[in-house]
Amino acid sequence: MKRSRRTQGRDAAEPWKTRKEVPKVPTGITGLDQVLGGGLPAGRMTLVSGGAGSGKSMIGLQCLLHGADAGEPGILVLFEERAASVRQNARARGWDLTPLEKKNKLCLLDARLSPEVVIAGDFSIKSLLAILDQKTRAMRARRIVIDAVDALLYLYDSPLRERQELYALHEWLLDRGLTTIMTVKTVPQEESHSRYAFLDFMADCVINVDQRVTAQITTRRMRVVKYRGSGYGRNEYPFVISPDGVTVMPITSNVLRHVPLGPKVSSGQARLDDVLDGGYRSGASVLIVGTAGSGKTTLACIFSQAACRRGERVLYINFEESAESMVSSMLSPGLDLRPLIKNGTLMVRSYLPEAMGVEEHLFHALEALDEFQPRHVVVDAISACRRMGSEFHAFEYLMRLLNACKERGITCFYINQATGIDVIAEVSGIGISSIIDTVVLLSHLPVGDVMKRQLVVMKSRGSKSSDQFHEFRITNRGFDLGKAEPGDTVGRSAHPTGFGGTGDRR
Amino acid sequence: MKARRHERVRDKTARGATYVFRLFVAGNESNSSQARGNLARLCEEHLKGHFEIETVNVLRDAATAYKYNVLLTPTLILIKPPPKVTVVGNLSDNQQVLAALGLTGNGR
Repeated sequence: MKRSRRTQGRDAAEPWKTRKEVPKVPTGITGLDQVLGGGLPAGRMTLVSGGAGSGKSMIGLQCLLHGADAGEPGILVLFEERAASVRQNARARGWDLTPLEKKNKLCLLDARLSPEVVIAGDFSIKSLLAILDQKTRAMRARRIVIDAVDALLYLYDSPLRERQELYALHEWLLDRGLTTIMTVKTVPQEESHSRYAFLDFMADCVINVDQRVTAQITTRRMRVVKYRGSGYGRNEYPFVISPDGVTVMPITSNVLRHVPLGPKVSSGQARLDDVLDGGYRSGASVLIVGTAGSGKTTLACIFSQAACRRGERVLYINFEESAESMVSSMLSPGLDLRPLIKNGTLMVRSYLPEAMGVEEHLFHALEALDEFQPRHVVVDAISACRRMGSEFHAFEYLMRLLNACKERGITCFYINQATGIDVIAEVSGIGISSIIDTVVLLSHLPVGDVMKRQLVVMKSRGSKSSDQFHEFRITNRGFDLGKAEPGDTVGRSAHPTGFGGTGDRR
Repeated sequence: MKARRHERVRDKTARGATYVFRLFVAGNESNSSQARGNLARLCEEHLKGHFEIETVNVLRDAATAYKYNVLLTPTLILIKPPPKVTVVGNLSDNQQVLAALGLTGNGR
């Protein structure tokens, strides 16, 4: 340890070099190693603190399992949970601990104190250390997780003795060079935090995890509080506990690494391609805005169908309706999506926005991006994303999904349902308009005694496009876009309130 | 955590029986030495001639400590007569130990 600190001083002029020299042990937890700049401090102690059910123990166990795979056997000391229930819970996630235990790659040590035990006078944890010593040597352990160390501390009446014993434990861990995770429960608004404050000073790395409820939706966050001798991501990062374990979702980088816009891809409708000067740019972000019933979903499905027929996979994330009901409602404008779903080029994923927090939604979306490798993604509708909690949550979800798509060169269609008649004012779409490349506006307005549909391309980055209003109809054969009529003033003058928002309607 | 009081008094048949103890110590550290001394005194006073003490030094024999799930030292386990009793600490609180072992009211 000492050597690495000294070299660090010498190389201070080249901070990047220094970081490499701090020995680290990867946890194997997706995203966490990224936040930690490679992993936990090797041979040192990391404190993971958080409330009940915040995922502390899961982080510890996953780190041990990764170690067992990577040739670093580990010991799990359980002060609170029974070894048998840890095994059982792990099995529920598809992790079978027993073979690892048999192969001496993992050892579960039940360190709970029986409630029958009588305490009469002072005592120490020397026996625990002696047992750990023996186990460590026998299985050549490199990692150790001490779960719920607070349960041990509660045995002591005196804060002084608590500290002494923990220092003894810490010294022992350092002497053995074990990479350690110690978990401790923190109860907010209680003296317990100050009670364990000394742990924060003792540890070389401190990670806080928590679970909070905003707008009735639970979200998990983690933050690295400190990391001696290393840089780390300083933000709060969302994470999820999925059936596969903990996944942290850091913003992957602080620079935008967007892939440049690709060639034009057909919108699926020849007239619309003309309006768009050849189609959408692949890899672009397209916002389709319109009032209810203006044909937004139809427009997106026309594109999806055309793309799928070209063999380009489309992921359709639907927050408004189920795949079945979307498929059946698209039959009326003559779009049959069933064969595309069947042959695997179109994947429809329907979610209830309020069912999960932002990070779980993101997790599912990113997982689908990785597994399905789509060329285009449709999100229907971004207005529904507010139900993930708030406008802010929707923004977070959409922004990060869009970033992920842009990094992969995936075309992203965001559908936004405008609630008012003044559609233009709603184009901003939850604050994401600045990173939108193309905006297509649809309106559906009464003119005399007929409803008239109009389409206009409001913004089209990196390509020319018509800035005219185009009338269109939705027939049983799809989208029927009228001729672009340069200089035609019907669109604007006939329905000033529709797009101009002069306000006599509201 | 406050130690739990065991107020039971062993029945008369147990009184004549031999008390078998296993005392887990960590070498000669101070709590362990105290526990040895306190236990010896207690046995002399209350169980004269009717006790056996097996001492396990966890620093030498961690396997036995593991087997009996003894993580704290000193730990005293009353093996016989039943029920099994576990007392943790240097046994300095004489009354507590006697109560735990069910020896209160049984003195002299």
